Amino acid sequence: MHEWSLACALVRSAEEEARRRGAISVHAVTVSVGFLTGVVPELLRRSYDMAVAGTLLEGAPLLIRMEPVSARCPACKKESTFEGFALLCPACGTSGLEVVAGDEIFLRGLDLEVADENESEAGGDHV
Amino acid sequence: MCEHCGCGLPDEAKGGTGNHDHPHDHTHREEVVLYRNLLEANERNARENREHFLEHGILAVNLMSGPGSGKTSLIEALAGRLSMRLRMGVIEGDLATDRDGARIAALGLPVWQVTTGSTCHLDAAMVHEAMHRLPLHDLDLLIVENVGNLVCPGIYDLGCHLNGVLLSVTEGDDKVAKYPVVFRNAQFFCLTKTDLLPHVTFDAERPKREARILKGGLKVFECSSITGEGMDAFVKYMETEREAMVG
Repeated sequence: MHEWSLACALVRSAEEEARRRGAISVHAVTVSVGFLTGVVPELLRRSYDMAVAGTLLEGAPLLIRMEPVSARCPACKKESTFEGFALLCPACGTSGLEVVAGDEIFLRGLDLEVADENESEAGGDHV
Repeated sequence: MCEHCGCGLPDEAKGGTGNHDHPHDHTHREEVVLYRNLLEANERNARENREHFLEHGILAVNLMSGPGSGKTSLIEALAGRLSMRLRMGVIEGDLATDRDGARIAALGLPVWQVTTGSTCHLDAAMVHEAMHRLPLHDLDLLIVENVGNLVCPGIYDLGCHLNGVLLSVTEGDDKVAKYPVVFRNAQFFCLTKTDLLPHVTFDAERPKREARILKGGLKVFECSSITGEGMDAFVKYMETEREAMVG
């Protein structure tokens, strides 16, 4: 269940970015999951729900975008999209295609509530 | 500064006391688009590992498979055939116990046992820490035995030069297509326990065919660590790859 490790990396990365931008809360987190990573979305979501406890992200929903696989044939150069792991060129049947997309997992975006610039500079301690 | 009343400015600039009762949070919503690779830290560590191995002239090999498919036995069989020609060290990865590490130590080989606790795979940072427990100057070949798991180790680059997947004939000939992730970054595939083929229903061609579809150019070996059948080809592969690496 590598989803747990990935969820921890996701929360760490998202919280660091949110704080760097002066966020006081997080409305949502979006992650892009390439199909070839073998990540199970439901397991990632459950892991995320546990990993956000006590962080700035607590309560922010996780939006998961599954990314299809895109690969280029070394023989005929045709680029195709795939929904499975068997990457055979549909045009010429060659295997060993070069993966262009779909083998990575990205923190894609953050929806933040950010303190106004002067507020954060002043420490936000006035009423 | 609040746009409604100027609070945040000195009192004289506001022309008042600074008291205000209008509703405002002094915050705004911001949608940020990022493309931050969550495996980036691991990939950076893996690159450093690879450079480190290269500096020492060490061929590093990551062995992945489900539990019980014969990774440790393959290492033992390899050790018996290599020792005079290549100096081998081993990093063992397991959730718990040092049993595998003890087996390798019993052969007189340098070994470091990583126990991951609850983590289902080795990552590049764990390998980095472990490699510095080994006498790198005295090694030519480093075998990293990953945690027994046919899924999760597949997406973690350890910085090894070769990634290999093992499947034993007792696990069933349908497993390759069922567990495709580990094959994506593999350079070789080893069908193990072939001495048991007469006793099981197993079409040896099926996993080989399916593995080659998942990864073009995959090298395939059929070995028995018990009888030694097929081991010569595997030993030769390790030696050839080491020679190619050091030029």
